[in-house]
Amino acid sequence: MAVNLMINGKATEVDADPQTPLLWVLRDHLGMTGTKFGCGIAQCGACTVHIDGVATRSCQFPLEAAEGVKITTIEGLSADSSHPLQKLWVEFNVPQCGYCQTGMLMAAAALLDEIPNPTDADIDQYVSNICRCGTYTRVRAAIHKAADMMKA
Amino acid sequence: MKILRIIGIIIVVGIVLFVGLAFLLNQRPSSPFDEVAAITAPQYPVEEASYVARLADCVACHSLPGEAPFSGGLPMGSPLGVMYATNITPDKATGIGNYTLADFDNAVRRGVAKDGHRLYPSMPYPSYSKMTDEDIKKLYDYFMFAVEPVAKPNQETGIPFPLNMRWPLAFWNAAFAPTKVYENKPEQSAEWNRGAYLVQGAGHCGSCHTERGLAIQEVALDDSGDAYLSGALLDGWHASNLRGNQATGLGRWSEDDIVQLLKTGRNKHATVFGTMLEAFNNSTQFMTDEDLKSIAVYLKSLPPHGADPQWTYDDATKVAFAGNDMTAPGASLYITQCSNCHGRDGLGRGALQPPLAGNPTVIGHNAESIINILLNGAGRMVVDGVPDSYRMTPFRVLLRDDQIAEIATFIRSSWGNDAPAVTAAEVAKLREDTDPTSDHVIILNMR
Repeated sequence: MAVNLMINGKATEVDADPQTPLLWVLRDHLGMTGTKFGCGIAQCGACTVHIDGVATRSCQFPLEAAEGVKITTIEGLSADSSHPLQKLWVEFNVPQCGYCQTGMLMAAAALLDEIPNPTDADIDQYVSNICRCGTYTRVRAAIHKAADMMKA
Repeated sequence: MKILRIIGIIIVVGIVLFVGLAFLLNQRPSSPFDEVAAITAPQYPVEEASYVARLADCVACHSLPGEAPFSGGLPMGSPLGVMYATNITPDKATGIGNYTLADFDNAVRRGVAKDGHRLYPSMPYPSYSKMTDEDIKKLYDYFMFAVEPVAKPNQETGIPFPLNMRWPLAFWNAAFAPTKVYENKPEQSAEWNRGAYLVQGAGHCGSCHTERGLAIQEVALDDSGDAYLSGALLDGWHASNLRGNQATGLGRWSEDDIVQLLKTGRNKHATVFGTMLEAFNNSTQFMTDEDLKSIAVYLKSLPPHGADPQWTYDDATKVAFAGNDMTAPGASLYITQCSNCHGRDGLGRGALQPPLAGNPTVIGHNAESIINILLNGAGRMVVDGVPDSYRMTPFRVLLRDDQIAEIATFIRSSWGNDAPAVTAAEVAKLREDTDPTSDHVIILNMR
């Protein structure tokens, strides 16, 4: 079934089974491999994208529900890696192995859009992504710094 | 002296009558097939024969995962003790290979084995008794000629003496198990009657969806009772209300919605899970569109049971989330653990992620299914041989009892839902009952 998607501001047509999880549409049908597969059951958050601005786990998001919504992936977070979080991720050396970090960044970016000055509790609540390397403290520090920068 | 003698006579006469009645009731019942000569070759095309076995869903109970179909062994709990489904492959020594059509008929429709012992009513013969002679002949065909014989001895029940004696079951049968084939109601359409036949008979929907009385009998075996299919507890799940209740039953479902659920496992209202998963994986998805439509027509004709409060969507929860208002207990946990799939609006995602807003199972009075699925997740749905990608995850390791209770209470009172709160104690109980290492883990009862 052909479905019209709006991904990173670009209209894109995909021909796939409407039950296909959005994650596999992105990775296998469109070759956008920045979004990662982690657990496949919406627990870990490696596959996080934005659906109408809300951080959403794409492995459990069916293609049939993706028509008519705005999808943003890590490839669309900024044109040239210039999002404050992306810069701070480098500055703070946030990633270790890096596998979960595209999802982590997407969750953090959605949080800052919703709550410009988040508390630690807000971060725990909205960035429930799991990191095998345990980069949580650096993730948290970078989010706080980004909030300061974006306020200024 | 005289009084004692009279009492003595009454006791003796009573015993004689009782023994006589027990003897009479334990006679081999008569079958319309008693005079039929031994059948040595299939009488029907195998597709027709196997279709009846699909309708009756024999495989769900008479098989163990990973073992030969119909070779038995599945443990079923009962208040008396554990019993095991039997080998119904045509093996002559350990299965039903020596059964004549009449023997088979007596087992399926009257609950009496070839050797005369009474079956426990975990075998749904009170429902199967409504099946037509022709369907029984097809079913016999299927088991004799299409099923591979497997030599596997039956397991003894774990029911202790004297409760393991089978003859008293004849009294149970006399009271609770009618032996009458379904009769069409002339005032109803052919479609309705076909649906009633399937639901009450082979489909044995009431085995799970109708509550049971003190003697573990279904309180109603057809639509003449208003509790029929109004939902019941079993195995740590609450089989949902299939009557016309607007909020908690099928009141808001169209006939097509019912067909879609039974055919694909999902629709915009709900997803199959729990023990219904077995019925879907093994039975309903194989039914013809016409039969599913008939079932839908029949179910939609059942009026609401008891009080019928109305559900309407309330977007207050969605608005609160948009304003980052997390004051409602459970709201924060919902955002972190649940909203990724079920959405902040509680509406799920199309037919693949079920809504929580207005979901009959979520707003039903009994929260057993909600607690169970939060703790243990859903089993794997298999459609057309393909395991499916969308599945509720278990939270028993990730969340504490009080957290699961908070989430359950939150979803039962948001988006217009209005169902009683869930306590941590209820979660703790079901957690233990469904812990495979517990000494009293729930094992399958009747389905």
